[in-house]
Amino acid sequence: MIPLAHYLIFSGLLFSIGLAGVLVRKNIIVVFMCLEMMLTAANVSLVAFSRAQGTAGIPVYDAQVLSLFVSGIAAAEVAIGLALIVAMFRSRKSVESTELTSLKD
Amino acid sequence: MEDQISTLCSATYSWCQFCPAFALVVLAGLLLLADAFLPKLPKRSFALLGALGSLAAAVSMLSGDHPNTFGFLACISTALTLLLAFDYKKICCESIAGKDNEEGTGEFYALPLVACAGIICLTQARDLIMLFVSLEVITLTSYVLAGYFRRNRGSIEAGIKYLILGAMSTGLLVFGAAWYFGMTGSFALNSSVVLHALNGGEVGSAAIAAGFLMAVALLFAGAFFKIGAAPMHIWIPDVYQGAPTPTTTFLAVASKTAGFAVLVMLVMPFLPFMQPGVQIAQMLVITFSIVAAATLLIGNLGAICQSNAKRLLGYSSIGQAGFILVFFMNPNSALGFLVSQYLLAYTLATVAAFFAIALVRTQRGSEEISAFRGLGKSNPRLAFLITVCFASLAGVPLTFGFIAKMYTFIALVDAIPTWGHLSWLLPVMIVSAAAGFYYYFKVIRAMYWEQQQPGDKALCVPVCTAAVLTVSAIALIVLGTLPLVLAL
Repeated sequence: MIPLAHYLIFSGLLFSIGLAGVLVRKNIIVVFMCLEMMLTAANVSLVAFSRAQGTAGIPVYDAQVLSLFVSGIAAAEVAIGLALIVAMFRSRKSVESTELTSLKD
Repeated sequence: MEDQISTLCSATYSWCQFCPAFALVVLAGLLLLADAFLPKLPKRSFALLGALGSLAAAVSMLSGDHPNTFGFLACISTALTLLLAFDYKKICCESIAGKDNEEGTGEFYALPLVACAGIICLTQARDLIMLFVSLEVITLTSYVLAGYFRRNRGSIEAGIKYLILGAMSTGLLVFGAAWYFGMTGSFALNSSVVLHALNGGEVGSAAIAAGFLMAVALLFAGAFFKIGAAPMHIWIPDVYQGAPTPTTTFLAVASKTAGFAVLVMLVMPFLPFMQPGVQIAQMLVITFSIVAAATLLIGNLGAICQSNAKRLLGYSSIGQAGFILVFFMNPNSALGFLVSQYLLAYTLATVAAFFAIALVRTQRGSEEISAFRGLGKSNPRLAFLITVCFASLAGVPLTFGFIAKMYTFIALVDAIPTWGHLSWLLPVMIVSAAAGFYYYFKVIRAMYWEQQQPGDKALCVPVCTAAVLTVSAIALIVLGTLPLVLAL
C-alpha cells in the first residue's frame, strides 16, 4: 500500500505548480488550467486523508463528499471562465493577461 | 459507515432553517423562467420582485430565538442592490444588448437572489463543507455578475481578474479544508476539534499541530480574500471600478458581509484559547494586527489619489475592512454583534454612495468625482443626502459611522492591557481615519465648491434612488445621535 506521505507530497507538488502557474503565466487559458490543478491537488489530499483517517479499511466519507463538491464547482468555474474568455477575445482579439490594462491606478 | 453519515448530519442542520434560502432560489428560478417564457414582461420588474423577496427574507432572518444578523444584512444589501439595478436600467440595456433593447438583461436581476441564498446558508454553516459550498455559490454568481456587461471592456476585464484571483483563493481555501480534515478527522468548526489538533491529535505529535496551523492559515487566506484584507486585496480596486455599478454594490456590501461571517466563524473556535500566554492566541493576535495595519494603510492611503468615484469606494471598502479587523484583536462572544454593527453603518452609507454614483453615471455619463460638480447648487437636497452618507463613511460625529469607528478604537484600547504590544496600532488607525476625512470630502468638495459647467442640468432623481438615499441618511443620523440622547 502506498503510504499517505507520498500522496501528500504529490498533491503538494501539484498545488505548488498550479499556484506558480497562476502567478507566472500570461495566457489566460493556461492560467485556468493551473487553477484547475490547484483544485485537483486539494481533491487528491482530500481522498488520501479520507482513507488515512478511516478505521478498519472504511474511509471517512465526509472528505470524499467535499471532493465531489469541489469537482462540481471546478466545472462551473470553467464554464464561467471560458465564457468570459470568449467575451474578452471578441473585444480584444487576444487572451493574454498583458492586454488587461484598461483598469489601473 | 452509518454512524459516520450520522456524524456528518448531526451538525444539527434542520431543513426549516434553510427555508428563506430555498424560497429565494425558487424565486430566482421563477424569474429566470419568466425571462424565457414571458417576453412581454418588462425585465426591470424582476428587480422589484427580487427586492421584495429579499426584504421578506430579511424579516425572516430576525425572527426566531437567534436573530441572524449577518443574514439580515446580506438580505437588505441584496434588496438595495436590486433597487439600484432597477434605476440603472438605461445603462444595463446599453451595455448588454445595445440601445433600449432589454433582451438578455433578465438574469442580471435574478442572479443576486441566488448569491443572497448562498450567504444565508453560509451564515448558518457549522462545518467546512457547508461553508465552502455556500461560499462558492456566492463567488460563482459574482463572477457572472462582474462580467455581465459584455459591451463594456472594463466589465469583462473586471470579470476575468475577479475570476482568476477568486479561483486562486478558492484553491487556497479548499486546500486548507483538506488539511484541516486530515489533521482533525472532521470538518466541524468547534473548540474541541481545535484543541484536539493543537495538542497533536491522539498521538500528540508536533507535526499534526503544525499541519493544523498551516490549514488554518490557508482558511484565513481564503476569508481575507473575500473581505479584501491585505495582502489579498489587490482585486478590489480593479473589480470595483470595472464591474457594473449594481454588482459593485453587491460585492462591496453583501459579499463583504459574507466574508466577515466566514472570518467570525473561523475565529470562534479559538475563543476559549484567547488568553495571554497561550501560543496560538499570540500568533492569531500578531497576524491580525499586522493584517489590520496593512489593510488600513493600503486602503486609506491608496484612496487619497483616486479620481474615479467607484475606485475610490473600492479603496474605501478596503480601509473600512481594516477598521473591522481591529475587533478581532480582542475577540469575545460579542464579536459577531460588533462586526455586524460596523457593517450596518458601512452598508447604509456605501449603498447610498453607490446610488449617487449610479445616478450621476446615468445622467452625466461619467463616474469621475468631478462629475458631481455643482450638485450643491442644482440639486441641494440630493447634495445634502450624499453629504450625510460620505460624512458617515468618514466618521463625522453625530453620524452612525462615528459611533461605529469609535467602537473600533474602544476595542483596541480594551485589547492593549491584555496584549501590551498592540499600542503601535493606535497611530495607524488615527492616520487612516484622518486620511478618510480627506478623500471622502473630495466628493463633498466637488458638489459644493466646483462650478457647474455650461450644459450641466439639474439631475432628475428617480423614485427608488430618492427613497433609498433619504432612508439611509435619516437612519445614519438617527442611529448616530440616539446613543448620545440616551446617554444624557
